Amino acid sequence: MSQRKSFAVGTGLFIVLGFASLAYLATQTSSIANSHQGAAYRVDAQFANIGQLKERAPVKVAGVRIGQVQSIALAPGKDVADVTLSIDKQYSQIPVDSVATIYTSGLLGDQYVGIQFGGAKTYVADGGHFGLTKSTQPLEEMLSKFIGGGGAADAIGGTYAVKANFTNVGTLSVGAPVKMAGVAIGSVASIKADPVKLDATVTFDIDKRYNQIPDDSAAAIFTSGLIGSQYVAIQPGGSPNSLKDGDQLVLTQSAMQLEDLIGKFLVSGSSGGSNNASGNGSSNTPTGKH
Amino acid sequence: MSSQSRRENVVIQTLGQIGACGLFLLRILAAIPRSMRHVRETVRQLWFVGAMSLTIIMVCGLFVGMVLGLQLYHVLAIFGGTSASGTALSLSIYRELGPVVTGLLFAGRAGTSVTAEIGLMRATDQIAAMEMMAVDPIAYVATPRFLAGLIAMPLLCCMFCAMGIFGGYLVTVDWLGVDNGTFWSNMTANVDVWQDIINGVIWKSAAFGAVISLIAVFQGYTTAPTSEGVAYATTRTVVASSIAILALDFVLTAFLM
Repeated sequence: MSQRKSFAVGTGLFIVLGFASLAYLATQTSSIANSHQGAAYRVDAQFANIGQLKERAPVKVAGVRIGQVQSIALAPGKDVADVTLSIDKQYSQIPVDSVATIYTSGLLGDQYVGIQFGGAKTYVADGGHFGLTKSTQPLEEMLSKFIGGGGAADAIGGTYAVKANFTNVGTLSVGAPVKMAGVAIGSVASIKADPVKLDATVTFDIDKRYNQIPDDSAAAIFTSGLIGSQYVAIQPGGSPNSLKDGDQLVLTQSAMQLEDLIGKFLVSGSSGGSNNASGNGSSNTPTGKH
Repeated sequence: MSSQSRRENVVIQTLGQIGACGLFLLRILAAIPRSMRHVRETVRQLWFVGAMSLTIIMVCGLFVGMVLGLQLYHVLAIFGGTSASGTALSLSIYRELGPVVTGLLFAGRAGTSVTAEIGLMRATDQIAAMEMMAVDPIAYVATPRFLAGLIAMPLLCCMFCAMGIFGGYLVTVDWLGVDNGTFWSNMTANVDVWQDIINGVIWKSAAFGAVISLIAVFQGYTTAPTSEGVAYATTRTVVASSIAILALDFVLTAFLM
């Protein structure tokens, strides 16, 4: 009898444990954990482009979650997305002229709707509408401004050396291409820290064929693509004199941290603006920008 | 000529096995109402295949989660995306590793012992004795073990997943220093309860449980009544279950996605 009781108790314990794990998985690690729904009210917003925004994505003010995206539909007869936001009742004092913007949390993160308060004294009510919205801007579009192309120069006809000082070389490595107008004209020969000026001295070997580069040209460190390697871009100046072996480029632009860039974009996006939904209708063509 | 006929023989034998297995499934299902009289036997089998497998399932889940966390962290670090490790960890455990690894472990831990037990009953004529005493061996022996496997697998899989998430959390957050809040919030943002947990974990593991216990019971029930036959049947259980799990996994994933 005691044996029989022990397996019955053990089986019961096993079943309880199993269902407890299921409950834990379902409530703590899934999207249900985010969708606690108290009393809420609905507000509409229309976006020209919602990017990867999904239903149940968070709605945030100052980074704090105040609700979620309830539904996404195409507005009838128009090429804009009709997004219904469900916002907790306790956050009922949102000015009517607030701006709804679609942001991305982190580089690989999901998108969410951020709301910047306006200055109006009246608040949006249930069934109300955010007139001012700012759509998602594809990351590719931002980054395409910094993307180069092409491979390394062949350097058959010999090279000449040019120096430049950078305050930050990022992850630039020896052998990285030096490009002008996106075409490789040489490579990075050495990277050394300057013990006196406390910056990085980079030496380039530039192909002799390209000996007409003005001596007031600027050198900048760019990244090819989102996770690509870094390269040096030469932006030609207007001086009549050409660069010679051993010259130094005075105008330099150091490696930009991707975080800085995106930070800038996010900040300018939140403060600069109030595009109407119809304002930037069909700007979503990243490949057309190259 | 003789090799060709032998090959045909193998094909026909395999087809015959599959057909016999399907018919056996129908007999088991038909015996479910009769086996309600032996509900205590089902509970005993649930204890045997489920509760006794807990240790191996939980330990393996912990280590699978830990190694997955470690691997994901280092791969994602290349792209500077370690914040996505919670998402990647939970989705890979829920959708694939949880059900499949639990199924393979379950086939090795519980399937083999079911086959050996029934095979030994067959070899020592206990099953024939039951028939003599007008006890339906399908309802008393086969169906309880089948039902126990069907019920135990989803529960074991849930525990495997929970331990896997915990192991991944230990490695990525406590050891490698991924932010705790990022880990959990990215996970909760991307795991869907229907798509990933009900479809991915519950349905898949229930299907695997049914297939494994069907194969185990069938192999035991139809074994040659010798010690060698029991040995072969046990081996065949593991081989057939493993192949069935991985093949069924592909089909189920294609359907449930």
